Amino acid sequence: MNNRTSGMQCARRSFWLPAGLAVLGIAGSLAALPASADYAVVAVTNGGSIDGVVTLSGAAPAMPPIKVDKNPDYCGASIPDPTYTVGSSGGLANVIVYLKDVTKGKAGPSEPLALVNDHCMFSPRTQGAMVGEQIKVSSDDTVLHNTHLRFGQNNATIFNIALPFKGFSVTKPLPERPGLIDVKCDVHEWMRAWIMELDNPYYATTDADGHFTIADVPPGSYTLEIWHEAAGEKSQPVVVAAGKATKLKITVAAK
Amino acid sequence: MLVRVAQLVPMVAGLLLAVGTAGAAVGTAGADTGDARNGKAVYERWCIGCHGAEGNGQGESAQYMSPKPRDYREGTFKWRSTPSGSLPLDSDLEHTLLNGVYGTYMPSWRFLGEREREDVIAYIKTFAPRFASEQPQKPISIPPNPGYSDESVKRGAAIYQKYNCGQCHGAGGRGDGSSAQGLKDDWGNAIVPYDLTKGHIKCGDEPTDIYRVFMTGLSGTPMPAFADSISPADAWDLVHFIESLSPEYPKNVTAAR
Repeated sequence: MNNRTSGMQCARRSFWLPAGLAVLGIAGSLAALPASADYAVVAVTNGGSIDGVVTLSGAAPAMPPIKVDKNPDYCGASIPDPTYTVGSSGGLANVIVYLKDVTKGKAGPSEPLALVNDHCMFSPRTQGAMVGEQIKVSSDDTVLHNTHLRFGQNNATIFNIALPFKGFSVTKPLPERPGLIDVKCDVHEWMRAWIMELDNPYYATTDADGHFTIADVPPGSYTLEIWHEAAGEKSQPVVVAAGKATKLKITVAAK
Repeated sequence: MLVRVAQLVPMVAGLLLAVGTAGAAVGTAGADTGDARNGKAVYERWCIGCHGAEGNGQGESAQYMSPKPRDYREGTFKWRSTPSGSLPLDSDLEHTLLNGVYGTYMPSWRFLGEREREDVIAYIKTFAPRFASEQPQKPISIPPNPGYSDESVKRGAAIYQKYNCGQCHGAGGRGDGSSAQGLKDDWGNAIVPYDLTKGHIKCGDEPTDIYRVFMTGLSGTPMPAFADSISPADAWDLVHFIESLSPEYPKNVTAAR
């Protein structure tokens, strides 16, 4: 009893900070909640597109193959490092490109996002997603994997599920907040993937030749963001005209 | 200008209600019973030395410890009855306070009394804004234990093998599997798979504790959740196999449960 009374007295003054933070947290989440509600799906009848290619300036840094020391009998003794996957014409694969601050336009994807554990690598390595979208994680491998999603900023776990068999899959929602998600398999620590969660569906990932297309964009001026796991981020303005394809050549420097 | 607690409480309640009606909150769990103001005093008396004034797990003594004290700020907790990534229930945190964490510096806080534990839980939750904006997911359901038997242990051994538990925990359960090296937790600290032959399980020795731990996984660590892949019947066989790895278990089981 004594303890409780003195506890209340000594706690009185300093309670404001955490309580205030909690209130801020609630207010913050209220502000963040309509993130997807901020985006309105409308029919885009006069949309244009962005047709781009991302190339790497200079030669790709030499990356030694990944040395496999877990399940080498299944995964193989080594795996080529896919960090800089450059096509024959210099195009850089696995770059995520997306438009910022789009408040209305086409509907998001109707199928869940797919992430496959495929021969001890994640496929695809990078992709965009709408906030709160469903993700289907599956395994084509006979060895145990775990698919461990973490917020890119601070590595806080979003979820971590076991994929013990070939053919096994789980579908779960992504968090209701935009941002970069870092995916790893702890069993095979070289397995990495990235998902950029966005509040609008105007995003794409470059193919093996560095090409990407973002279609059905309402005419207007935008900021295009470019993200690569190692080369980093950059952005550039882009203007989209009704019914036209805006051609873009984007160069990123290796780091 | 300071807002009085009396005014703040309805404010928080109002905001929570707003969140609830906005459709963000799912489930009904999480009704606070503890008083965070009293909990702060309990925390500053008993917890601050390891878990730190900011709840970041970096109290004065933390540097000497491995594994490190929990960083509360993301709402990431190892021992939960809720699915992977979910916030824990208050009763999950209470469970950890009651049992302590075997093999670490975290002792049992049974002596504190129920009120103090409830209060300190309420205070710990103020470190992670998630607790104010999110509800824990529904806990997994655990069917009754069909009972320890040699047959069940044998089936469990096959499950252990089929699900590749030995990849990290080793064929004999000693935590020496081929993927045991180089594992890291969310904070980048080295972490090792548990040696299941030690005779105690970190989160509690009840069969349901073991069941829960591999079904919901240990958030913040490499240990994933198997609730989507292991059936309840197989899960109980696996529990019995894990119990059998320690010579102490079978006799505990037959004596008490």
